[in-house]
Amino acid sequence: MKHLLHLLAALLLAPTFLYAATEPPRASMNERHKSLLKEHCEGCHGAEKQKGKFRIDELSFSITNLETAEKWQKVLNQINSGEMPPDEEKQPSREAKADFLDDLSNAMVAARRSLSDQRGVITMRRLNRREYRNTLRELLGVEINVSELPSDTGTGGFDTVGSNLFMSGNQFEQYQALGREALSESFAWQAAAGVEKKLRYEAETTTPIVEKFVAYQIDARERAKLWVKAVEDAAALPENKDIVAQLKKESKNDSIFRRSWEKIPGAPSPRSFGFDKKGENDADLANDSLGAGWLPYHQYYLRQPAVDRGAYLGTQTRHPAELNVNYIELLVPFDWPVGNYIARVRVAAANDAPPERRFLDFGFHARTGKVMATHEVSGTLDAPQVIEIPFTLTRGHTERSDRSLFIREKGSWDTNEEGGRKRSEAQKRNGIGPEVALWVDWMEIERVPNTANPAPPGIASLGLPLDDKAPAPAPQDVRSALERFATEAFRGTAPPEGYIDDLIRLYNVRSKAGDKPAAALKETLSVVLSSPMFLYLVEPSAGEKRRPLTDSELATRLSYFLWSAPPDATLRELAKRGELAKPEVLAAQTERLLEDRRAGGFIRAFTHQWLGMDRIDFFEINRALYPRFDTATKVAAKNEIYETIEHLVHHNASLRDLLKSDYVVINRVLAHYYGLPGVKGDAYEKVSLPEGSPRGGLLGMAAVQFMGGNGERTSPVERGTWVLRKLLNEPPPPAPANIPAISRLAGKVLTTHERLLAHQEDPQCANCHRKIDPIGFGLENFDAAGGWRTEDSYQATDAAGKPDPKAKKNWPIEASAALYKGPAFKDYFGLRDIVASRSDAFARGFSSALVEYALGRPCGFADEPLLKTMLSQSGKKDLAVREFIHTLVASNEFHTK
Amino acid sequence: MNPSLTRRHFLRSSTALIALPALESLGFRRFASAAAPVEPPKRLIFLGFGWGITTESWFPDIKNPGPAYELPAGLTPLARHKADFSIVQGLCNKYSNEGHWGSTMWLTGANRFAEPGQNFHNSISADQVAAAKLGLSTRFASLQLNGAENAEASGHGPGLSMAWDVSGKPVGGHKGPVEAFHRLFSQDTTPIEQQKAMLAQKRSVLDTVLGNARAMQRGLGKNDTAKLDEYFQGIRDIETRLSKDEQWIGVPQPNAPLPEPQPSLAGREEIKVMYDIILAAIQTDSTRVLTYRQPVSTLLTSLGIKVAPHDMSHYHSTLGEKLDASQRRDLAQSELLSGFIDKLKATKESNGTALFDHVALAYGSNIRTEHNLDNCPTLLSGGGAGIKLGHNIVAPKDTPLCNAWLALLHGIGVNAERHGDSTGVLKELLA
Repeated sequence: MKHLLHLLAALLLAPTFLYAATEPPRASMNERHKSLLKEHCEGCHGAEKQKGKFRIDELSFSITNLETAEKWQKVLNQINSGEMPPDEEKQPSREAKADFLDDLSNAMVAARRSLSDQRGVITMRRLNRREYRNTLRELLGVEINVSELPSDTGTGGFDTVGSNLFMSGNQFEQYQALGREALSESFAWQAAAGVEKKLRYEAETTTPIVEKFVAYQIDARERAKLWVKAVEDAAALPENKDIVAQLKKESKNDSIFRRSWEKIPGAPSPRSFGFDKKGENDADLANDSLGAGWLPYHQYYLRQPAVDRGAYLGTQTRHPAELNVNYIELLVPFDWPVGNYIARVRVAAANDAPPERRFLDFGFHARTGKVMATHEVSGTLDAPQVIEIPFTLTRGHTERSDRSLFIREKGSWDTNEEGGRKRSEAQKRNGIGPEVALWVDWMEIERVPNTANPAPPGIASLGLPLDDKAPAPAPQDVRSALERFATEAFRGTAPPEGYIDDLIRLYNVRSKAGDKPAAALKETLSVVLSSPMFLYLVEPSAGEKRRPLTDSELATRLSYFLWSAPPDATLRELAKRGELAKPEVLAAQTERLLEDRRAGGFIRAFTHQWLGMDRIDFFEINRALYPRFDTATKVAAKNEIYETIEHLVHHNASLRDLLKSDYVVINRVLAHYYGLPGVKGDAYEKVSLPEGSPRGGLLGMAAVQFMGGNGERTSPVERGTWVLRKLLNEPPPPAPANIPAISRLAGKVLTTHERLLAHQEDPQCANCHRKIDPIGFGLENFDAAGGWRTEDSYQATDAAGKPDPKAKKNWPIEASAALYKGPAFKDYFGLRDIVASRSDAFARGFSSALVEYALGRPCGFADEPLLKTMLSQSGKKDLAVREFIHTLVASNEFHTK
Repeated sequence: MNPSLTRRHFLRSSTALIALPALESLGFRRFASAAAPVEPPKRLIFLGFGWGITTESWFPDIKNPGPAYELPAGLTPLARHKADFSIVQGLCNKYSNEGHWGSTMWLTGANRFAEPGQNFHNSISADQVAAAKLGLSTRFASLQLNGAENAEASGHGPGLSMAWDVSGKPVGGHKGPVEAFHRLFSQDTTPIEQQKAMLAQKRSVLDTVLGNARAMQRGLGKNDTAKLDEYFQGIRDIETRLSKDEQWIGVPQPNAPLPEPQPSLAGREEIKVMYDIILAAIQTDSTRVLTYRQPVSTLLTSLGIKVAPHDMSHYHSTLGEKLDASQRRDLAQSELLSGFIDKLKATKESNGTALFDHVALAYGSNIRTEHNLDNCPTLLSGGGAGIKLGHNIVAPKDTPLCNAWLALLHGIGVNAERHGDSTGVLKELLA
């Protein structure tokens, strides 16, 4: 608490900067380029001639209106596309042109920013998709799938920025439908609150199935051999010579030849040997049985020591419908209700299982579903362990595919392609297939009753019976129930006059139409959940004057900032008593909100958008090149970013740790991937790094480096741009349109470095790439899956898409470079030190992202003093993360409509 | 809106002359005997594909304009229709600066920064201009169709579909064939009285939320009022649709001329089926204005291409598998379009002419390739707008794309004065 008081004192002493109508500064083009324009442009676009009716001599260097901006944009486009100056005219020097483009493209970014500046005005906004889901969750206690709503990202800003959050008729209907769904879900949870269910599957059930299958395979193989022999005998008959010759010519191999057994006089039918393919060609079944696919693997499975009391998780051999030794899948019975569930698995690692294979994947629907959780197995056959995995079942889980839980060895069969590759590698090595690594005793599903929890506030506010059997409530009870529910839904604001009357009218219409009371109520409440007072965060301001927020508006702003959810009873109570705005109360509440599990809604969404993490889901990794980066590892790597930032918030650690740190926050999956010891539990935890580790900080994270590539090759350009944007707060201008492509190097076998050097030749490219590319070179030691490497190679393919052995190149990674007009670095570690030394720039970028996210409007020029205060306050605490948040929450901007 | 308005009133009203031809087509044949033979109505279709094409092998040689041009490799699947489409070169939206936005401003030509104090602005799209007129007499004023996948992966940019309404706000669309099919052909078997009661109830829902919005509006400043206007506009749109539903009560949803699509369709198959749905929507005269924001990412996957879509459009510096992917994509898209044109030609209107002759179709993207936003790939087809077909049309460099949209609009009888940044109709298109 002491540091809070210091902070408050500092804030109270800080000069007030509210209501100072700050004019955005004017963006301008650097006047040093006047001579270039004069020399190269004014001949055709000046006082004498005005080709294309365009005059440059009168163009103002100060870009203060849209018209001037559009003219400069035209100049930029023409020079970028190489059209101006025309080829036959004298050209400016490369360096001068690059500098000109550099200054102009940055001036345009500044001009666009300044011209679109909202001058601190916050546009009223509706709940975005996440907040809408969370708000329903807090009100009704259930979480529904809102993916059909627009994602609210896409125009570049955060999904909290009001001016980008649109509304349409379609959407209104979606809100109504989703509100209805949430109510149905909530009513169903209430109805099933006390239901207890449990089932257990004993895994040794698999063993007799495998035994039977092995016996069948052996028998069928013998029968198939006899049939083949009989067909061959018939084919050898002299009178069949011609037809056999004809058939052999038409068949690629013996199996295909035998499919035509009917045409060979004397050849017996496969069915007479017991092969019936149910309407298809019986010969296919006989041919298949001849191979007895994976019989040695099945026999190997049965030789394992504990098949009498459990099952092993192996590879996929046959189609799972025929025989499955790859995963265990358990269906939650269709008549089990919605609610919270726990899956339990009693599991052990086989004695000789290598450490990297002691992980269990868990998810819904083995063949198509995603991996939802991965746990390390530390139990042994002598002392198995029980792993518990909580999950939720909703009304949306209606299909076999989303009610079937599966467990499988991590990464053993993420895709058919990948699983097949691992299987054949192992078979090549040992003649059998992948050794089994995990053993399962049993798997269990239990429904957890939720009678102990209080009813969610929305449901509690109704105070009416929700089942269809109850008698119709009295009209005055309905009225007061609707009034209480609407007030709760509107975050404490009482509904306007006439609104409840309208609702009652609807309720009566539904009742008259034959709805049961609960159904009529649900229909009526769904209208509340699509009413503007629910959907919009309203801060009325009749005049155009800015005004301070009321306490309850402040409560709403604070909780949507730090929770992406509505204010709870405590916040609302403090607001009602008029205490929330008191600095010490507000600071304490900020601390409380950050400690709450709901803070994850803020930290994860903010982090995701701030760092541009959507790129992680754009690409699939090439598993043939990066077999260790399996699905579970990718999930873990993405979580590392979230978990690290949550760690910073919870421990109020320094933002600097994101640039360089001597620890990482990882789980056991990543510990194996990074080759780091020290993770003790099954969750993410802080682990110290050994001396000289490239990990520690964002640049050392696999997911960050993965984003800077396409899942196959690294992209120094993507990486360099990301570092400039996110870490150094020097965002390069957006990729300009219509730049002539460099195709000179196409098809040549070059190192990445050589290829990118072409960027330096054209001023249109060089003006940005001289800043971007060197940073990317410094990160080349990370491969496309974020692993550390010292070599890279390029393999060109021929016209048929096959690797061309003559067109291959290997080279050692050369990570030394120099920042443009900045220091040189010898290697990645040198680059990381340079980046780490610029923590002020990083903190500034972070602050402005935080301001935009929290206030729901772009961080504008009027926010300069606020940014300064955030930086100086947090600077006093070594950039401790919570200081940024506290300073922002205490600022006038945060308290002003 | 007069709530007692019935279908009979509707037919007698001044829109009847536009309404009747609709009733002639397949879905409403039972009314045909009552009406005199009329010219089939005009239709407008926009097909957009994000991420552009392969410049080198998609465009015909600009040195060879006119009808005698050689078909480039990327268009070879369209050879049989060569006389029935034109490629237009040299068009662009001059305000476009976003290298990943293939569809956001494709039909609008807007300047993202046109509005001071805002960092995103758009204006009405050409299809919605047409829908304001052509949409009066059909069940749906226009239909917006989208690929089933995430639009960003396919290079379309922001937007809920390719359509933007009169105030430049995004218009929602139907994701994938199944959703589109249900919107068009799900049979409403509810008795008419009950349908009317439901409509009345929907109206009172709207009244309730409108009352709430008005109460809220009373303390709001200028910006916030403008924001809340979107909500009002949304409600008004629903009201307009309810009025339309009311007019159509008792007129059964047309029988679907195709089976319900499989939900698992993706990529090539998805586009193929969506083209069939577009055809079915026109055949049943459910609408006359359609846009389809096609999937590109899943198209690649369905062709067995592993190159990521954005990477593919950056084939210039490496060629190899990226160029190969880009060209295979072109071929697949041309093949699909060719099949669609086949069907437009094979479908007969009530007066015996081909549907193709009454359709104006534009196919293209705001992105040429990579981040290039000039010479937007533009293929125009169909006889509906009376434009010149069978030509390699080379317009002066950087002619507004909106000039082409304006020519299409005029061609189908929508006489807008201008559209987006148009400077006039594209005279090279006039036959």
